[in-house]
Formats: sequence, C-alpha cells, structure tokens
Amino acid sequence: MSATVSLSKSEKSYIRTALGELSPIRADGRSLLDYRSIALETGVASLANGSARVNIGKTAGEESGSGTEVIAAVKLEVEGVLEGEGVDGGRLMCTVSCSPAAYPHLSSAALDDLSYDMTIILNQCLSHPSLHPKNLVIIPKRRSWLLTLDVIVLSDSGNVYDALFLAARSALCDTKVPKTRSVQYQPKSNALGEQDVEMSAEAPASIFSTKEVKSTADFELADYWDEGEPLDINQEWPVCVTLNLLSAKSLPTYFLDATSQEEAAIPLRLLLLFSFSPSGTRLQSMRLMGDGEIQLESMTQLLESGENHARKLFQALKNKLQEEDFRRNQKALARFDLR
Amino acid sequence: MASRVEILNDGGFRSDGRKQYELRDIIIDLSQQGSADGSVVLSHGLTQVSASVFGPREAKMRSQTLHDRANINVEVTIAPFSMGERRKRSRNDKRVLDFASTIKATFEPAIQTSLYPRSQVDIYINVLQQDGGVLQACINATTLALAAAGIPLLDFVCAVTGGVQSASPLLDLTTLEENDIPHLTVAMMPRTGNITLLTMETRLHVDRFEEIFQLATSAGHVLHREMKAAIKDRTRTLVAAMSVAPKAVGEKDPVYSERMDDS
Repeated sequence: MSATVSLSKSEKSYIRTALGELSPIRADGRSLLDYRSIALETGVASLANGSARVNIGKTAGEESGSGTEVIAAVKLEVEGVLEGEGVDGGRLMCTVSCSPAAYPHLSSAALDDLSYDMTIILNQCLSHPSLHPKNLVIIPKRRSWLLTLDVIVLSDSGNVYDALFLAARSALCDTKVPKTRSVQYQPKSNALGEQDVEMSAEAPASIFSTKEVKSTADFELADYWDEGEPLDINQEWPVCVTLNLLSAKSLPTYFLDATSQEEAAIPLRLLLLFSFSPSGTRLQSMRLMGDGEIQLESMTQLLESGENHARKLFQALKNKLQEEDFRRNQKALARFDLR
Repeated sequence: MASRVEILNDGGFRSDGRKQYELRDIIIDLSQQGSADGSVVLSHGLTQVSASVFGPREAKMRSQTLHDRANINVEVTIAPFSMGERRKRSRNDKRVLDFASTIKATFEPAIQTSLYPRSQVDIYINVLQQDGGVLQACINATTLALAAAGIPLLDFVCAVTGGVQSASPLLDLTTLEENDIPHLTVAMMPRTGNITLLTMETRLHVDRFEEIFQLATSAGHVLHREMKAAIKDRTRTLVAAMSVAPKAVGEKDPVYSERMDDS
C-alpha cells in the first residue's frame, strides 16, 4: 500500500544512501526529525458539526509544491436504538476517501483499495471503545447520535497518515453536539377538548421517574445561542507519528515526515498512535507497514522515541486548536458587537 | 404559512439579500494542488468546488484511447459532508456518472482534442460544499482548470443557472431557490455565443424561456470577465516568477503580449 510513487532502483538507493550518511541529507534540506510546516484551519465545512483542513508541506509563495492536504468533517445524525441501526450510547464511524487528483497514476480500483486501507486504520483506532465519547446519548436506550467522520485526501506528497489523524483530531475537537431536551406527551385523565394532551419539557434525567412505561418519549433541540457542547473526551483523541525506518538493523535509524519519494525508497514504516489524556499516555494503535522486518528489541526504543515526538506534536496541535478556537470565537463576538 | 421564506419579497430582494439579477460572490483560487497540471478552487457563494486537470497524457486504460483525438475523462466526487444531510455516494452512483458525462459533453466542443490523438485529458472534480448551482460551479471550475493546465480551448465555457419566480426571472440560484422554482443551467462560449449545454429538470412555461435564457447568456459574459481576469492574474504571476516579464523597452515576449492583450 506504500507505493504511490514509482521510483527506479538507482533513485531509491540515492535517497537511502543520503539518508544513511553520518550527516544525513534530505532533498529539502531538513534534518531527520524535522517536520515540514503544517497548516491547520478549523471550521472549513459550514454544513458539518465540526471540520478541519490540514496541509503538510505547503510552503509560502504561490508557485511552490502543494504538500499533503486533507479535509476532515464530522456530521451528527440521530439514530433510533430500538427501530434503527443505532446502538445505545451512540456510534462513531469513519471513512476516508482519496480524491483521484491525489493519486493521478492509480486506477480507480487501486484508489478504492487505498481508501479502504486508510479507512480501516482510522476507523479501527477512533471507534475503539476506549475512545468513546459519553455525550452521544440523546435519550438513553431510545435515541443516540451517530457520529460520522469523513476524511478526504485532496493531495498526497508523503506522510498522509499523520495528516489524516491531525485532521481527524482537529475535526473531532471542533465538533459541537447540539443540546437536546427530552419531551414527553402525557395524556391527562381529567382534561377536556384539545387540551387533553400536554407537552412537558423536562431534563433528561426525569424521564426515568415517569411511571408510565408506554409513554412516548422524544426530544427537541434546545433553543440556545450556542451550537452545542464539545465531545467530552476531546483531550484523548490520538495523534499519529510515522517513523520511517531506514534499515532493519538492530539499532534502526528513523526519520519523520517523509515525502512521497522518501516513502517509496524505504523498506519499513511504523505508525504509532498515542493518546495523551490527563489520566496518562496510551498507545492506541500501531502498525508496521512495508516489506521489511524489525528486531523485537529495537521496538521498545522506537516506541519511546515515538512517544516523545507524538507528545511534541500533540502539544503543538493543542496550542494551534486553542488559537483557532480563539480566532473563531473572537471573530464571532466582534461581529456580534457590530450589530 | 407565515414563517415561510419568500423567494422574492415585495422590496425585490431574495432570501439571501440579493437583487433579482445579482450573482453571488465568485472566488477563484488558481494555486497549485498536488501534482495537477492545472487546478482551481472555485466558490459561487457557499457552493465550493475544486477541479484538477491532468494531461494530455497516456490513458490509464489503453482501450480508452481514440486514434484521431484526445479522450476526455471526467470524474466527479461529492464530499459526504457537502450537503445538509450526510450522504455517501459511491463512485459508480448513477447520478454522479450522469453528472460527469454532462460535463464531458459540455467540454467536448470546447477542447481542441484533435491536437492530441491517442492521449487523454483527465478532469477530476471534487464538490466540497453545495448551495445550489453545483453544475454551474463544476463547469466554470473545469474551464479555469483547463486553462490553467494550458489545454488548448476554443473558448471559455461559462455556466450560470437561472430560474423564474412567478414571472420574475432570477439568476444564480441557491439551494432554497432551486428547490422551489423552475430553473435551468446554461453553459455558453462567450466569444462565439455558442451554447454548449442547456439542462432543465423542472417544468418551465415556454413563454418564460426566452427571457431567462437571454439573461443567463448575458450573465455568462459577466462570469467570463471574472474568469479571464483570474487567469490573466495567474499568468502574470507565473511569468513574473520566471522573471521573463518584458521589462526593457523593445524586448517583448510575443506570447506574453498576446496572452495579456485585452482584445
């Protein structure tokens, strides 16, 4: 699944030799552990509940190459637990689709395969029970939110998995779950005329206290100025760091943020997904891709250094998301003041 | 119903505050995307579409090549989050395929395919956001991407939607208006005035047709001006970047001056 660019043997060995030097050389002048510049914007899809666009490697100046670009958007839909496909407590579903413009050399069947591979990696990690938000419930055992995360890969110039998870995390952090209120129709025994049905709006908790089992409970959207509340496990959504392994020696050297050419030249990639919650750091998922192999002893070392890189990335992303939140809310407030 | 949104109120304003013949804001971003030969992100108001053009190049499938001209391949993908209700359309969805073939048919008379026999021009369109006039946005984006890729065109193709709300014609409809009133999409080539596409999926009184058709055609000229300006701007920056812009007097680049000539 790695070969999205085809390189000749000599090109591969050229890149590999340069990377394996004592003072490694990369085509764009970065050191082994440097990322390209990452651009991030949230709120890019106005019809979604949360969205983000991430670009890795777009340099300033209009005429340069365009980097890896990914858009992620979250949409929430209501599902019935009893009648529909819904699950009590809500569901989370992720799909990745690759634009044919990102992989102009692939046939549509190969493109579907690639999209499917990415979908599996994203979905397996994010819809794991350990990452389930608790506020996807609307009415317990009756209605819940289905959270769908759609990611589109617009262009790929390497390191697409890091971009995928950066965008996914940003979109999920940007997501606002609409506030709902349970309503219930209670037939009054002594009422007359058209007043015999009364609508009462209650807090969700009070649903349980009603004596009638048959009463139809539904919900309405609370009329509130805010779009809703964020998902409750925002800090825990994982970040991905791809370690590109140069060789399968006992002490493998690795580098970060590979370009597509570099990706095509190396034998192995190790995807590490870390979640940094207040309760501690968790390794959410890992995957070894490529046709090489690796010594078991070196894994611990790679995991350790991967965690360090992921933590830095996580911190940078957190700062950026706060900045974005500030920018958008500040803007909204300023506009509100003008009226 | 009292709360119903009026398509055209008594003051002559539409639901988004526009006048009858007013077009929405058009934003053209011609910057490079991925490895495409020409690419654009185009927005008509809240409708946003990105188009990338590859080619002329060897066809991915040998069977698709034509011996006397280039084959045009259009692929459209619609982002699941582009609409109010999430809907995932597969690549082989009938409606998407039909949409793509409409665009292909629109550009067949505009692209000089006979210059590139046995090759293929790939046009990949991504619909990112929908608020009415998706076909119009796709066609305009494709024109711009083709021009940016340097594919020889006979002319621009400019598309616009028009509709009629009880005897008063409207231009550049939003989703709200498209759902309510009869509408048509016209794609025209401004220089010759030829029409390359005319579609209508709703019923329209035949007496109203001519008026709205004329209006859409003149709106096409307005769009043409905007699109041409954007292409010129892009060319200018490219030329400046190559630092071959004719600065000295008497040292003129014939191609540059021809492209920049306003005629």
